[in-house]
Amino acid sequence: MSVILEAMALQFGYTAGNPFARAFDFTLESGEVVALMGENGCGKSTLLKTFAGMLRPVAGCVTIQGRDVHDREKGYTLQGLSKQVTLMRMNMEAPDRMTVQEFVSLGRTPYAGVLDGRSAEDDAIIEQSMECLDVKRFANRAVCELSDGERTRVYLAEAIAQSVNVLLLDEPNAFLDIPRSHALFRTLRSLAASRGMGIVVSTHSVEYALRYADRIMVIDGGDVKVAAAGSAEQSGLLDWARAD
Amino acid sequence: MRRTWVCFGTLFIGVLVLFVWTLVSGPVDVSLHDLAVAVFNPDKAEPFHTKIFWELRFPRAMAALLAGASLSVSGLCLQTVFRNPLCGPYVLGISSGASLGVALALLAGFGFGAFGVLGAASIGAILVTQVVLVLASRFKNASVLLVAGLLVGYFVNALVNVLIAGANAESLQAYVSWGLGGFTRLTFGAIPGFMAASIVGLVLVLFSMRYLNVVRMGDDFARGLGVAVRRSRIMVLLGSSILAGATTAYCGPVAFIGIAVPHLAFMVFRTTNHRILLPGVSLCGAFLALLAGLFPVSIPLNAVLSIVGVPVILYVLLKGSNRGGAL
Repeated sequence: MSVILEAMALQFGYTAGNPFARAFDFTLESGEVVALMGENGCGKSTLLKTFAGMLRPVAGCVTIQGRDVHDREKGYTLQGLSKQVTLMRMNMEAPDRMTVQEFVSLGRTPYAGVLDGRSAEDDAIIEQSMECLDVKRFANRAVCELSDGERTRVYLAEAIAQSVNVLLLDEPNAFLDIPRSHALFRTLRSLAASRGMGIVVSTHSVEYALRYADRIMVIDGGDVKVAAAGSAEQSGLLDWARAD
Repeated sequence: MRRTWVCFGTLFIGVLVLFVWTLVSGPVDVSLHDLAVAVFNPDKAEPFHTKIFWELRFPRAMAALLAGASLSVSGLCLQTVFRNPLCGPYVLGISSGASLGVALALLAGFGFGAFGVLGAASIGAILVTQVVLVLASRFKNASVLLVAGLLVGYFVNALVNVLIAGANAESLQAYVSWGLGGFTRLTFGAIPGFMAASIVGLVLVLFSMRYLNVVRMGDDFARGLGVAVRRSRIMVLLGSSILAGATTAYCGPVAFIGIAVPHLAFMVFRTTNHRILLPGVSLCGAFLALLAGLFPVSIPLNAVLSIVGVPVILYVLLKGSNRGGAL
């Protein structure tokens, strides 16, 4: 396995003097699923946005395959970055009138020309992404009419169609029932294995994290700690989540 | 996919038929044969017929074609960028901005150099778009934007009324006849200017196709797909302003095409992909404008358009309220 995403002496947050956590190093390898956990407001979404290159870090840097994700001159261009990493969020407004097929097709935008055409190869990838997440059955329905579970799969199909190396997900199982959450995490595992993607998924569920993630990353009390999922409990990584 | 091509074909033929119909119809009876002679064999034609064709009929048809397409594209872009199905150049006060430019040129005598009325209208439209853009970034609520747009429109119209109060009778008459709106004002010599402005506006919009297709999901989503949001938004709004401004300069304020046609085009093409919608709204808009232009000159153009436009917008509101609100 090879390192895809690397964070070096990273401090993340919105204001320069007030980062969410002390500086830390982190590497994400291909084919790996990392669960990102922590209390509400601890900065999970902010960290994911920083990994995705959407938010400049307070200090340190993030690279994907050796190139900086925030520096538009020396690192990736915006378009180049969008071929490497995508952040899937559930709080997006479901677009009015847009069909599932059209929405998944947006994932090929980084590969399109000025007039936003789709090649035969693009069409094949769109079909494949819809089949992979089992959303092809309702390809012609409007996204805004779908149930939350269906919508989650459609958003994920769109992210897959983007053909990225790093897939970041912000609480994808927030709206899902238990069987669908299991199905979602199984899908993430198989995507990581079959496509060699590195996946970071934020979740509030300890159960899914322990069962499906390779490693667990916790933001707790101003520190970012990472441990293998098997040893997370022994190393005290999940103490903050206990009810007592 | 086949359905789309059938729709394009039908609309294209429809526009062509109405264009020819516009050339043939008018208060003076000129037969199709006489017009054909006037166009293709001007030496043998009656000078009277040649004059009618080139100075009246052809400019009128071109005015309807360009105005319909320009306003529709402008309306579609505004609805997409502001994520609001009730946006349009008229609603947001952009047409009023263009009117102010024209009023300054016609009433207050600002020459605007070689720009003339076209430049004045475009500058007015762009300025109001800037104001609306600032307001839109302050208010996340979509209906506040519409109210703000209406207020800007009232404000600008009040400025125009002040200019009217101080104007002399001759320039006032020119302004009032312009203000009624219509396709009969365009002169043959002005066609290239109108065409050039429309093409510039259209190119600005076309080069932002990727932005238009992804912006409905928000700026972050668009950036995540590698789209330069700021630059594209400026290009689209500049293009929309030029399209609306140019139309207002040559045809006066024309209501309802900009807001209603994008919805008609959606009903016809059933897609949100702007690769299909942009040519789609252009054809629908041109069709509707040519059709409205065929009514006798004694009925004001804006009356005809309101009779078609209001039911469409009410339909959008009703349909939206069934699903939790278009706003």
